[in-house]
Amino acid sequence: MIQFIVRRTLQAIPVIFLISVVSFLLMQQAPGGPQAAFNQNPHISPEQVDAWLRRWCLERNPDLLGTVREYLGWLGAYNCTGGGFVSDHGLPNLLPAFLGGGSNGVIHGDFGFSILSGRPVLELIMERLPATFILMTTAFVIWVTIAVVVGVLAAVKRYSFFDQAVTFIGYVLYSLPTFWLGLILIFIFGVELHLLPTQGIIAVRTSPAPFGTPEFWTAFAAKPLPLIQDIAGHLVLPVVTLVAVSIAADSRFVRSAMLDTLGQDYVRTARAKGLPPRSVIFKHAFRNALLPILTNVALEIAFLFSGAIVTETVFSWPGMGRLYFEGVSGRDYFLLMGILLIGSLLVVVFNIIADVLYAVADPRIRY
Amino acid sequence: MATDGQAVPPVAAAADRGADSDVEVALESLGQWQLAWRRFKRHRLAMAGLAIFLLMIVVAIVGPIVAPYNPLNIPNSKIPGGEPPSLAHLFGTDDVGRDVLNMVVNGARISLAIGGFSMLIAGFVGVAVGAISGYAGGLVDNVLMRIVDVLFAIPFLFVILVAARFFGEGQVIPLILIFGLLSWPLIARLVRAQYLSLREADFVEAARAVGVGNMRITFRHILPNALGPVIVAMTLIMAGNIVLEAFVSFLNFGISADQISWGNALSNAQPALSLGNWWWAFFPGMAIALTVIAINFVGDGLRDALDPRSHL
Repeated sequence: MIQFIVRRTLQAIPVIFLISVVSFLLMQQAPGGPQAAFNQNPHISPEQVDAWLRRWCLERNPDLLGTVREYLGWLGAYNCTGGGFVSDHGLPNLLPAFLGGGSNGVIHGDFGFSILSGRPVLELIMERLPATFILMTTAFVIWVTIAVVVGVLAAVKRYSFFDQAVTFIGYVLYSLPTFWLGLILIFIFGVELHLLPTQGIIAVRTSPAPFGTPEFWTAFAAKPLPLIQDIAGHLVLPVVTLVAVSIAADSRFVRSAMLDTLGQDYVRTARAKGLPPRSVIFKHAFRNALLPILTNVALEIAFLFSGAIVTETVFSWPGMGRLYFEGVSGRDYFLLMGILLIGSLLVVVFNIIADVLYAVADPRIRY
Repeated sequence: MATDGQAVPPVAAAADRGADSDVEVALESLGQWQLAWRRFKRHRLAMAGLAIFLLMIVVAIVGPIVAPYNPLNIPNSKIPGGEPPSLAHLFGTDDVGRDVLNMVVNGARISLAIGGFSMLIAGFVGVAVGAISGYAGGLVDNVLMRIVDVLFAIPFLFVILVAARFFGEGQVIPLILIFGLLSWPLIARLVRAQYLSLREADFVEAARAVGVGNMRITFRHILPNALGPVIVAMTLIMAGNIVLEAFVSFLNFGISADQISWGNALSNAQPALSLGNWWWAFFPGMAIALTVIAINFVGDGLRDALDPRSHL
């Protein structure tokens, strides 16, 4: 088992490396750049822009080699304060800092600064993560619970009216464009009925500080109840949107996994023995169907971190999805690379967890 | 339902052709595709979906000829935010008085073209790569599948931005190419999995023993057997890419404003929503939802027809 985990981790390294290289190259090829905001400003000379870019370890119109240098600077193998591949201590920059290497780059644990805001990338991510966490876990718990219940029932009563109704509704919900559903919900419950807040995570006027800032958390610790109520109200519409569009895929998956086990010989044996249907369904069929369901859920958790770009944008939710989108629009290279790297690391980690869970839950599987 | 495509009962067929060809006709059997069509027709939702989908295609072809969309034809609405649906404008108008029905009819062309052609690209590339990967195995397989892994993980917003630089922003053909490029890995994985099991099948062994070449085995012998799940996945990709077009327009990376697509119309309508203008956003969104639902039902019917063992 440990050998398996180690092997899978080692295999993941080249894939993550490749993803980061390709993402960086693509990002550099996109039109504009972080300096585009200065282009229209007559008071900023090209020399100033160049100096500004150099501080960021970037070049104005990098050729392929320049892009590679920029990438290696981000990675930590290149010392862009003038040393090239050699650190300030005269040793290869790639080495850990305590061995005389450089201190810049992700290899040395430095995710760098966001170009747009000038703040550390990790700090920005940490500020946005709670909002995404609240939104995504609430929605995820609700949709997985409903999906399991509905999926199991639909499989047990296969081809019944219930099964067909669930299939039909599932397809319809699955087919709705997310942001369109969000907009319609905003229109009905916000604009027309004035029932629910439609934008943001807290009411700006009554909130002691912007969500996610340290001041907010101190105020939250002092008097949490009204703030929790406020957040819960803001949660309703985005959660409903997310649950509606995500539920179909999972309930189909549960139904199919359940149908697979219900058709197995041991289920027929259990029925033939005269066990009550409840016991056959839950003890024999469902427990075995849980294997693929668990794997599927573990894989989905990895993607919760990256948030939901559309839902967060429609509802102005201050989460990871919007941070990412702001980064893309502003060509904030280091912020984007930070988000992508953490995101792909999580995908890899949860992939391994899913495989391990599989082996733990099913003793027949050995790695 | 008309009888075209439906199997003629053997007895009736025999009677038609006269007594002398009796034996021959009785042996006439239905092909795989005829059997599949028969199963498909029993799926009522899928037939309804097919009808809606064909209707949308007719609208997409005929609509722009009958009532072309002209973004510069601005009648200037009297009501701020646009006029609500009426007999003159069945779907209402946008904030400057352009007819929303006209947008929906004209938008069908680009939306369906993006969905359909990107699906075809994904199908061709995915089948080719998956087949080679699954049949060849070894190093070729390993390299191709790592490429697929990376393509799966690359953030598609970057790809769209980069393509905008090289092919021009807001154009239809680049979007089709990108959506195709982003969709083929799914098909490739599916085809590869099919090939891994089919290449060990007896009929492949038999073909090899007779001396059939690798290319012919790959594409003539195995491919038809692997096609069922691929066709189903392709319908899902088409539906997904129609929604993706709307999503990309929503993020301002979509079709430019001098053209009209459903996603484009929908994202333009967003600011007017708070003025009480729901119809401008509602009808294009409804067109997307209806088309995608129809395609998904067709896909469901195809799954039952082509891949009877699967119950996903």
